[in-house]
Amino acid sequence: MDHLDRYQYLLLMGLCLLVTLPLEVAFGARVWRRPRRLLVALTPAFVVFVAWDLWASATGTWGFDPDHTVGLTLPGGMVVEELVFFTVIPICTLLTLESVRNVLTGRVPWLPWPRPAERPAERAESTEPTGTGERPGPGAPARPGEGG
Amino acid sequence: MPIYPLLSIVAAVAVVVAELAWFRSGLFRQPAYWVSMAIVYAFMVPVDGWLTKLSSPIVIYRESDTSGLRPVWDILAEEFVYAFALLTLVILVWDRAGRSDG
Repeated sequence: MDHLDRYQYLLLMGLCLLVTLPLEVAFGARVWRRPRRLLVALTPAFVVFVAWDLWASATGTWGFDPDHTVGLTLPGGMVVEELVFFTVIPICTLLTLESVRNVLTGRVPWLPWPRPAERPAERAESTEPTGTGERPGPGAPARPGEGG
Repeated sequence: MPIYPLLSIVAAVAVVVAELAWFRSGLFRQPAYWVSMAIVYAFMVPVDGWLTKLSSPIVIYRESDTSGLRPVWDILAEEFVYAFALLTLVILVWDRAGRSDG
């Protein structure tokens, strides 16, 4: 178990990636599928926060338990796991953000509420359906084959 | 004020100023942003909690450099401010990059 202990930090980061990966597909997050944009998004924060981390590690504001890290460190004592952290956690956040956006704008086809994209300005009027051949209201389950 | 909470607040303020003065994306008016942050913070508790728990920490802080406030599972209060700065900056740049890239 001792040698596995040293992978605690990395395994935790791996778990974060694993848990958020389905968002890419199930909620159509399209974060992994836009790698160039993702790289651009990560870079400024990575530079700033890694610089901060290098400094804080070197001055001793924080440090890392050698028993729970693989042992590769940058000058000053910052562990390489931190580089993984500043890549993985932002990716998880963007996957969450894009998924939430798709849910709120009705772009997740398997969710049972209607798609506002089809009825732009009527979202506020969720009163009784006035029933002249309108589409089903928010409570009604969508038919699986409907619309395409 | 100790250095870690101080710098975290400086970082968070800098990101808010960056949005208001430079990005002007309207991110803070988007419900999706606040819903996402709520979800991310919920997951931050087990993840950051695991990293910083006092019983067997992976990341160890010099106590005099911190606020000493650990409201949830030994997570320092300034970690939540730090996370706001880090993740909001990432989102702002992601959205900016998306305006041209798609």
